[in-house]
Amino acid sequence: MAVANLTRRRSALFDHPLPWLLPLIAILALLAIFPLFYSIWLSFYEWSTFNRQLEFVGWRNWATLFDDDRLSASLIVTFSYFAIALSFELVLGMGLALLLDADHRGFGFLRGALTLTLVIPPAVAGMMFLLMEDAEFGVITYVLQTIGLIDRGTPILATPSLALAGVLLVEIWQWTPFMVLIFMAGLRSLPTEPFEAALIDGASWWMTFRRITLPMMGKVIAIAVLIRGIDLFRVFDYVFVMTSGGPGTRTFSLSLYAWQQTFSFVKWGYGATLSLVTLAIVLVIANLFIWLTKVRW
Amino acid sequence: MVGPRYASTVRQIIAWLLVALFVFPIYHWVTVAFKTPKEIFDKPPNVWRFTPTVENFEQVFGISLGFGFGDVREVLPGGGNFYMAPRVWDSIVIAVFSTILAVTVATLASYALSRMRFRGQQHFVNWVLSTRMMPPVAVAIPMFFLFKNVGLLDTYTGLILVHSLMNLPLAVLLMKSFFDDIPKEIDESATIDGASRWLIFRRIILPMAKGGLAATAVLAFIFSWTEFLFVLTLSQGSIQTVPVASSTFVTSIGTAWGNMAALGTASMVPAFLFILLVQKHLVRGLTLGSLKQ
Repeated sequence: MAVANLTRRRSALFDHPLPWLLPLIAILALLAIFPLFYSIWLSFYEWSTFNRQLEFVGWRNWATLFDDDRLSASLIVTFSYFAIALSFELVLGMGLALLLDADHRGFGFLRGALTLTLVIPPAVAGMMFLLMEDAEFGVITYVLQTIGLIDRGTPILATPSLALAGVLLVEIWQWTPFMVLIFMAGLRSLPTEPFEAALIDGASWWMTFRRITLPMMGKVIAIAVLIRGIDLFRVFDYVFVMTSGGPGTRTFSLSLYAWQQTFSFVKWGYGATLSLVTLAIVLVIANLFIWLTKVRW
Repeated sequence: MVGPRYASTVRQIIAWLLVALFVFPIYHWVTVAFKTPKEIFDKPPNVWRFTPTVENFEQVFGISLGFGFGDVREVLPGGGNFYMAPRVWDSIVIAVFSTILAVTVATLASYALSRMRFRGQQHFVNWVLSTRMMPPVAVAIPMFFLFKNVGLLDTYTGLILVHSLMNLPLAVLLMKSFFDDIPKEIDESATIDGASRWLIFRRIILPMAKGGLAATAVLAFIFSWTEFLFVLTLSQGSIQTVPVASSTFVTSIGTAWGNMAALGTASMVPAFLFILLVQKHLVRGLTLGSLKQ
């Protein structure tokens, strides 16, 4: 009788969700919530190189935000990067997905080949393009010179007007396949009846795409935009290895700015403040987007 | 008017050409790994004609693939180091253990999220999802000071913890979607037969979700394998993963492109093989379980 009771009590323990969720809650609390509060605390302090200690500075770091040219520059870079990359990846991704959505021989192989870019460390991909965009030995530079788009010996990543495009090139190369895979899965899951009806009605290809494919792909596109958008907004690896934010502030992303303030300039408090700004912007935009598009998990 | 057969041929040619354009940078990088420094700096750039050499791999992995065993573990004049075998080991240790930790914790939690109902459940899921939105820099900065105080800076434990934190949202949401695929009637009939929750999970549901478990683990492994910012920030040189180690080939006297490409190429191979293994679940994984193929 006692044994039966014990077994029942042990099994009752697992009837409640808490024991299942506890390890997750513990790790998230320790590694996600605590650092968040620590950052908030840190944003009210600053390291004093003179006294060699953290000193309370009140709201100073937060006030500095509103009078910081480098912050506005990095916001412009980050938002441009976000908007340009997302537009290119969406359009190219949709185009390639439509192109590859057929049962020709070898198309399965092509899809597999496209996934390869996704598993290359972004830092390594940045290096690959750094070499290819080299002013003297780079393949991309050579091709662009040959077709006359840039002058001989132009260092793409050191030219103010071209640097951001140079970084965007690797971004779009690496992540367009992400969109292709998601969109192809979306296209595959569409019902066939509306397309048959459109065919009978003699609708043009463009009409069919605009009025049937796009609206039915709404949810798929929203999810792709959300997931890619979150990562685009915190771009760090490419700019860190390719340009360090230069020339000037032409590729100076928000994440890079926060990191640099903390680890290169020992502005611990201001670095933490900037990282909180990045966090706040991502959370607000992403949650607004989720609310507007009604994406559910 | 072009015939449909003609159009389909054109379509195939365009598809092959475009995909070739996407594969080209990878091909280029692999050839750099097999080139001599002289060939890397050919003008105009030479993509096809070169004499393959394994010298770069020998230097990076400290082994001699040909004849003779010279000391290849030399230090670069700029202060860098060619010898990267320990960095590959670091990458493996961190990726394997952070994957095990993340997948274990996530599997338990996602079973409850899939099978039980409790107050605030949707909020809880949203909260897990929102930790995926945290910019790495916002985690890395406080983590640096926290780790500094408790002695976790530059340790396997510290990096394993951070990488599993990074992978938890993905693992939880993805495993939940795999559990959701398994009909609840199976749990119910097992309950009627007198099986406890734990027994049902361990003996029935978990074996049924094996494929999903493998896919989740592979994706978590790859994300840890390719991660850059956390390792850059929370290691100080005695531990380094491949992506960060690659950036150390850039020295004040120039960049050791051949060696960097050799390390990069070698580190891509396991990731390529793994991703081909999970093709079936790839889209679901990339969208955190919200889209099924």
